Amino acid sequence: MTLSLVLQAVFAGVTNGMVYALVGMGLAAIFKGSRVINAMQGEFSVIGAMTTVLLLTKAGWPYPAAILGGSLAGALVGAFIEVAFVRYMAAKNASEDSFLLLTIGLALTLSASILFFVGRDGHLLPPLGGEGVLIVLDAVMQFHALWLIAIGIAVTLLLRAFFHRTTVGLSMMAASIDADGAATTGINVRRMRTFTFILGGLLGAVGGILVTPLIGVDYQLGLNLTLKGFAAAVLGGLTNPLGAAVGGITLGLVESLAIIGISSSYKDVVAFSVLIVIMILMPHGMLGRAGRRGG
Amino acid sequence: MSMSSVARLAGTVVLVATCAFAAKAQTSGEPVKIGAIVSVTGAGAGLGIPERNGMLLAEKTINAKGGINGRPIRLIIEDDASNPDTALSKANELLFGQKVIGLLGPSLTASTVAVGGVTHANKIPQIAFTGIGPAVEKERKCVAHVLPPQKLNAQALLEYAKSIKAAKVGVLHDAGYGNVVMAEIRPIAESYGVKLVAVEKFEVGATDTTTQAAKVKAAQPDAVFIIATSATPFRNVKQLQMTQPVVAAIGSSSYEYVNAMGPGADNVVIPEFVVGEDPLPHQKAFVDLYKQTYNSTPKNFETAGWDAVHIMAQAIGKAGPNATPQAVCDAMRGPYSGVLANYDFAADDMTGIPLSSYVFSKLVGGKYTRIPFRIAQ
Repeated sequence: MTLSLVLQAVFAGVTNGMVYALVGMGLAAIFKGSRVINAMQGEFSVIGAMTTVLLLTKAGWPYPAAILGGSLAGALVGAFIEVAFVRYMAAKNASEDSFLLLTIGLALTLSASILFFVGRDGHLLPPLGGEGVLIVLDAVMQFHALWLIAIGIAVTLLLRAFFHRTTVGLSMMAASIDADGAATTGINVRRMRTFTFILGGLLGAVGGILVTPLIGVDYQLGLNLTLKGFAAAVLGGLTNPLGAAVGGITLGLVESLAIIGISSSYKDVVAFSVLIVIMILMPHGMLGRAGRRGG
Repeated sequence: MSMSSVARLAGTVVLVATCAFAAKAQTSGEPVKIGAIVSVTGAGAGLGIPERNGMLLAEKTINAKGGINGRPIRLIIEDDASNPDTALSKANELLFGQKVIGLLGPSLTASTVAVGGVTHANKIPQIAFTGIGPAVEKERKCVAHVLPPQKLNAQALLEYAKSIKAAKVGVLHDAGYGNVVMAEIRPIAESYGVKLVAVEKFEVGATDTTTQAAKVKAAQPDAVFIIATSATPFRNVKQLQMTQPVVAAIGSSSYEYVNAMGPGADNVVIPEFVVGEDPLPHQKAFVDLYKQTYNSTPKNFETAGWDAVHIMAQAIGKAGPNATPQAVCDAMRGPYSGVLANYDFAADDMTGIPLSSYVFSKLVGGKYTRIPFRIAQ
């Protein structure tokens, strides 16, 4: 095992980890705000990325506008799902299982719709910063991956500031910790839940758009992202969106170091064994306790 | 509308009707029913949809040429949704409900093994769109295969490696299809003078295989094999700026994957059977007809669909008008020069495709081009 191979594994681990983190943060934000485990979080990423691809290639929008359009599409679909389904079910006191079933159903429906309307083909987006690469000790990192990590960190910090410094963010957190108490202080709990879904959709879409230049997007990418994002969110502590960032990076690094340290055949065995150990030692997730205090 | 234009319109209608009638007039009598099961939805849809297109074109062409000894053929195509259980129940319905004389498909190995249990037991001819799979299929002498066994794909990859004098080969393969082909490569690699210096695996549908590719790169191979049904490893190899020739197994040969490879598609060599952009002389008529009909370029699976219908039709014709399915099955067992390959269904592997049927394509600027290399008979 050479130093350059280790470095390459770290590069890949952090890049993948940041993608898991973005999906996981959306998942955790929605869970925090509504107690819904959103099994279609990866679908938000596919919607964001596909919309960007279509706006860029079919509608001929400039890239930045297409990215904005894709991100908004994710947010809009998030809002739509809350208003059309979750709100109605919540009013009837639906259980957490029902919500899970709803989002699984929506994930399959959305994936099938994308297959029907857009087709089976995979699509790529142009990398931010061009096709250039950074080479350190023979280990290669695309400029785009650097952008992805930088934007991922910025999003994480913004999210933290949003939850801690803005009225809307604080209200969302209050509504999630104690809905009745929040309502008595004049917070519109229903609206806060819509905001959480908008936030979740936006985070998912941004993640999807950022990852597409590296891995491509097709109709079946969503489930993969959801699973990894879910693992990241649980690892970090499902009640704390920032925990998902820590969880995502950890997962990404463990995965890629397992490949070079042991064998690619045992990658998942090693990675998930480590996760099990972490969960046994820290049952609330790596940042779960912080989440209980309100993130 | 004036009288004359009404008359002209009526004339046109009569003319069109006559033409349609003339085309149909060559066939008469009860249609010969042939069943087909393909995966039009689900994970295997990338195979099933092109196979269906190829079959429909063959049905139309055969009927336009007078069907089987004057009788038209009628394909009854069912979708198994990439599920072996569904395939089996559709097969029972086709064989015993619709009483088809033979069966084409399914698209996936698991479904083929399931359906083969019924066709084999009842001596009904079946032509599967898979290579021969588990050992049990060797005993099923009524189940022919129009695609090669994975061992042949393994040999084709190694033949190419040998031709470019690649003594050290690194492999990136997925845990499904890639595993099966890899299991065939391991025992024979040495006999081709090929040393496997790194073999790295990733899960089916993995979104990133950079670390695995980095391990292959670190082993400094002369060439890299990629055996997968996804575009991801191709992109990762390119992203790591690996300059070795990349040889890919037939599983990733479709524009669906090539488009998703982006710059990673450049210079990838694939041993396969049909390069629609530059077909072999005997493939040209089919390729042209396909392009005219569907406005797209056919590849291996479209051609397999076309061949399967023709093989079945020929066997039915040979067995005679009132032949039993068993007689058709017997008539099918023998050599057949198809568009995809030269088959011999009397061979042990129920396909008999020789290595010389492979052609080698190279991706240039995201498009397939055919390279001159062929494996000698």
